[in-house]
Amino acid sequence: MSDGGPRGTPPPRTPAARRRALGLDRGAWFLLVPALLPILVLSVGPLLYAVALSFTDARFGRTVETDFTGAANFADLRLDPLFWESFRLGLVWSLSVTALQLLLGLGLALLLDQNLRFGWLARTLALVPWAMPEVVVGLMWRLVYHQDAGILNETLRRLGVLGPDSGNIDWLTDLSLALPAVVLVGVWAGMPLTTVVLLAGLQNVPRELAEAAHLDGAGVWRRFASVTWPALRPVALSITALNLIWNLNSFGLVYVLTQGGPGGKTRLPSLFVYEEAFTYGQFGYAAAMGVVLTAVVAVCLTVFLRKSLRETAP
Amino acid sequence: MNETSAMSPATGPSGPSGPSGPPGRSGPTGPSGPTGPNGAAGTRARGWRRAGRAGQYAGLLCYLVFLAFPLAWLVSTSLKSPQELGEAAPAWLPRRPTLENFRAAFEAQPLARSALNSLVVAGGATLVSVALALPAAYVLARHRSRIGRAANAWVLVSQMFPFVLVIIPLFLVLKNLHLIDSLGGLALVYVVWNLPFSLWMLQGYVKAVPVSLEEAAAVDGAGRVRVLRSVVLPLLAPGLVATLMFSFVTAWNEFFFALVLLKSPGNQTMSVILTRFLGAEGVADLGPLAAASLLATVPGLLFFTLLQRRLTTRLPAGAVKG
Amino acid sequence: MRRTPWPHGTVRGGPRPAPAGGGPRLSPGRGGPRLSPGRGALRGVLAALLVCALLPSCGSGDDGDGDGTVTLDYYSLAWQKESVAANRKLVARWNRTHSRVKVRYVQGSWDTVHDHLLTSFEGGEAPDVLHDDAGDLTDFAYGGYLADLRPYLPRGTRTGIPRQSWDAVTMNGGRVYGVPFLQEPKVILADKRLLERSGVRLPTPRAPWTWREFENAARRLTLDGDRDGRPERYGTVWPMKEPVDQSVNLALSTGGRVLTTRRTGDGVENAVRFADRDAAVSALIRRQIDEDRTAPRSGLGMAGSDTLPGFFAGRYAMVPLNFSFRQQVRQQAPDGFAWTVLPLPRGERPGGHVQGVVPQTLSVAQESRHKRAAAAFVAYLASPAHQAALAKGDWLLPTATTALRDPALNRRADGWRTGTALARTLRPSPALGVRGYTEWSDKIATPAFQRYYRADLDLKGLQKTLVDDGNRVLNRYQR
Repeated sequence: MSDGGPRGTPPPRTPAARRRALGLDRGAWFLLVPALLPILVLSVGPLLYAVALSFTDARFGRTVETDFTGAANFADLRLDPLFWESFRLGLVWSLSVTALQLLLGLGLALLLDQNLRFGWLARTLALVPWAMPEVVVGLMWRLVYHQDAGILNETLRRLGVLGPDSGNIDWLTDLSLALPAVVLVGVWAGMPLTTVVLLAGLQNVPRELAEAAHLDGAGVWRRFASVTWPALRPVALSITALNLIWNLNSFGLVYVLTQGGPGGKTRLPSLFVYEEAFTYGQFGYAAAMGVVLTAVVAVCLTVFLRKSLRETAP
Repeated sequence: MNETSAMSPATGPSGPSGPSGPPGRSGPTGPSGPTGPNGAAGTRARGWRRAGRAGQYAGLLCYLVFLAFPLAWLVSTSLKSPQELGEAAPAWLPRRPTLENFRAAFEAQPLARSALNSLVVAGGATLVSVALALPAAYVLARHRSRIGRAANAWVLVSQMFPFVLVIIPLFLVLKNLHLIDSLGGLALVYVVWNLPFSLWMLQGYVKAVPVSLEEAAAVDGAGRVRVLRSVVLPLLAPGLVATLMFSFVTAWNEFFFALVLLKSPGNQTMSVILTRFLGAEGVADLGPLAAASLLATVPGLLFFTLLQRRLTTRLPAGAVKG
Repeated sequence: MRRTPWPHGTVRGGPRPAPAGGGPRLSPGRGGPRLSPGRGALRGVLAALLVCALLPSCGSGDDGDGDGTVTLDYYSLAWQKESVAANRKLVARWNRTHSRVKVRYVQGSWDTVHDHLLTSFEGGEAPDVLHDDAGDLTDFAYGGYLADLRPYLPRGTRTGIPRQSWDAVTMNGGRVYGVPFLQEPKVILADKRLLERSGVRLPTPRAPWTWREFENAARRLTLDGDRDGRPERYGTVWPMKEPVDQSVNLALSTGGRVLTTRRTGDGVENAVRFADRDAAVSALIRRQIDEDRTAPRSGLGMAGSDTLPGFFAGRYAMVPLNFSFRQQVRQQAPDGFAWTVLPLPRGERPGGHVQGVVPQTLSVAQESRHKRAAAAFVAYLASPAHQAALAKGDWLLPTATTALRDPALNRRADGWRTGTALARTLRPSPALGVRGYTEWSDKIATPAFQRYYRADLDLKGLQKTLVDDGNRVLNRYQR
């Protein structure tokens, strides 16, 4: 990417020289500290505290004494089939929602990046799910999915997909439909953010190159693969990594929709942890779950990002 | 040569005009389109081009229907009477539209007050978090260091940890800072909560600005501040807008912290107030809930309408080289 | 239990001995963070992590003690407009007539009450007076967050409310953790016209249906014109989003309990039992869904209110629902829809006319600095006249015997009279006071019942899961 190339002297090429040219040595700390300080106090502190709890038998109760129990929680956790089932569900949910968010979000971002008429309206409306509070999103979709009074069954019936003889579909309570139904809501709710992020990232695509490729007769796919995607890649990677994490941790939506039912088929790990901590008051055990979740995801993500970043790096 | 004209009108970087259908189906994998073989004759190309355009509109329409229909449904619900809401075969259009739900919602809960609270908290948190994140993200993106890597790693880890576990320790910290039941305290939490995303995303956008541009400007003799202001900032605008939107909406919609940290009736935010329309055992006061939800959605949409232009605004390519 | 005067310096003697003084307390002002563990070293580490906790938290003086008045926070879960209004009116009247104790009304929500209270308790910021239900009290009570009200409640309050209601809030060695003030029976809401046309005997509170009669009535009311096994109209529907509470509460009518309580030398021991009498109603429900087809399978995922559109549309002729759902019916039913309230069916055996309920309660936080004043306010709210007003507002029943005689609660309209007549059949749910009930219910019982009702698990399998896996969960809580 050498558009806007230098005109005068060639730019300094060693990292140190570059840093000097950009004046980073002096200002760096001064610029970093204001952001890191609140994080340190309100994020690092509470988080390490919670991690410390995972090595105790901390429970709810003002008269309850807390003891250091070493790795006992983790030993218990290893034998907790419900947790691992929930973990598996979480991975399925998270991977499918993230993948769909990326694909659909990319498609929409590319569309919105075109100079279409009513672009402004489309750009605003495309963000509707984002502007709605999570509680409302959950409730809205519960109404949509409602077995007797839901607009989805009604619409399907009008379209003739549901015959007059077949019964209504109970989307959220059927053992095999519940997860896909919830995934759809997850995609719906998370797409706008992905779209916006990718749309903003598209602005960095060097247009001249796209133009040149077009004149060279490169097909749509080749232009995308050789011009658009390389420029979009860092942003797409970032948002995908975050989406993956957020989805694995997502809580409110599924809680409102199904509360983990039916029969635990949508009990994502975050719901599991929530129940353990807030419903049964087993803080230590819940914290151990959090630590395990974080550790596993961190390892996977590090591998993924390492690999991807290395590919991106020149 | 400015950007819009530089873009070929028929097909941009891609033409996802094909399978951009409703959800459930695989959706547009972006770059696959029927914009067939290249090097075809001019008329044929133009035909393709027009078809591509139509396909794009069709795709966009599908997206909009999918994304916006709950809003329509929410509007419809908010205008229905309780009887109509209890019907088994729901209709898209209310038979006898009524504004009664809005009146009831305002009467039942302090909506105006809570909207103001939400606005103050979300607005404050947004400005502060972006103001803190921008310089930090710039440094982290341009200046590879151990601290930078640690900060980045932390940002991700903090997002991985189930937040329900952080709530109680956080509550204790804030209590000791005497920030329980204060909008300032809540805004502070949101700042911290939003910072990771802002840091992470802004870094991505900064990295996308070629260093060569800055170096060129610096070598040309522009001062540090001027380089940032006139070269980097304009190029960051779309990313900055995306980040602003994210921060605002996240704070506006956030529920759990607000529920736990605020006590006084006069301090409640909108998202907490909304749950007051829910009773025990999944009973909901649907009409007023829909009305209130609609009102809670409007500020976000207004904010988006104001900002969305910036998402695709580009400077003329020449200006960048300054 | 020995009462220690506030402020207590040491952790109070609960089920476990207080830790032996050592280790720095994080913030002495108001009891400190509850998560602070007992062992000195670990405590030190955690204290260091919580940098900010080192800042002094000198207990806030926001209670206005300076001029001798105290302010109590009253966390209320009133939901209906009328009930909120009634609450506010009572608070305003209290504030007019009490110069030294002022009450601040704080609106809560059923949807979030548990999370809100749990965090407030752990953070030491709980409201003084709190409204909740008896089921939620168990963990809070055993956690030591609720005050034992026995020393504070006036005689009138104690004697005005019947014994079985008090049983719902008495636990942990006879301590009383709340005043049960509102309750609701499960009733059957029925489409009046369909019912009358079917020619079945109309039950009354004095002569309710037996469960068998109910089954027959459901058969008579089911309409499957084309005989395809998919009725156009079901006799009934069981909204079973939360199947466990229902199954436990209804078991009382057939002499079952599901959850048994046995007194032992050092407390009580809870266990799960699922013998025939415990399982009778559950078996009936499954029969209706999977054999008779007089109840739709889709009901299994519904919450109570989800059944109403189908009820209004004539898809379901009868719906077993809690008493307060009448308000929804009243509000949403189409014009001309005639409905009626029937008592819940009874078991065949004597004493079968009972059902389990989970009353709503008013409690006082252990950490409240004004427990006596708070208890006085609780007694004021729970006085018969006030109970009646609050009950009417939320379409519930009061617990006090005199309050039940209030004319407004005995009108024929909207089934009030039927419900009031059922008050004497209400017993505390066997689930109350059982530690670990929620976890058993969420992790073991809910999925098991859901599979059972879907015919995915037979009675033997259900029994085995509920009892074997269930007792393992419960045992963890009682050691």
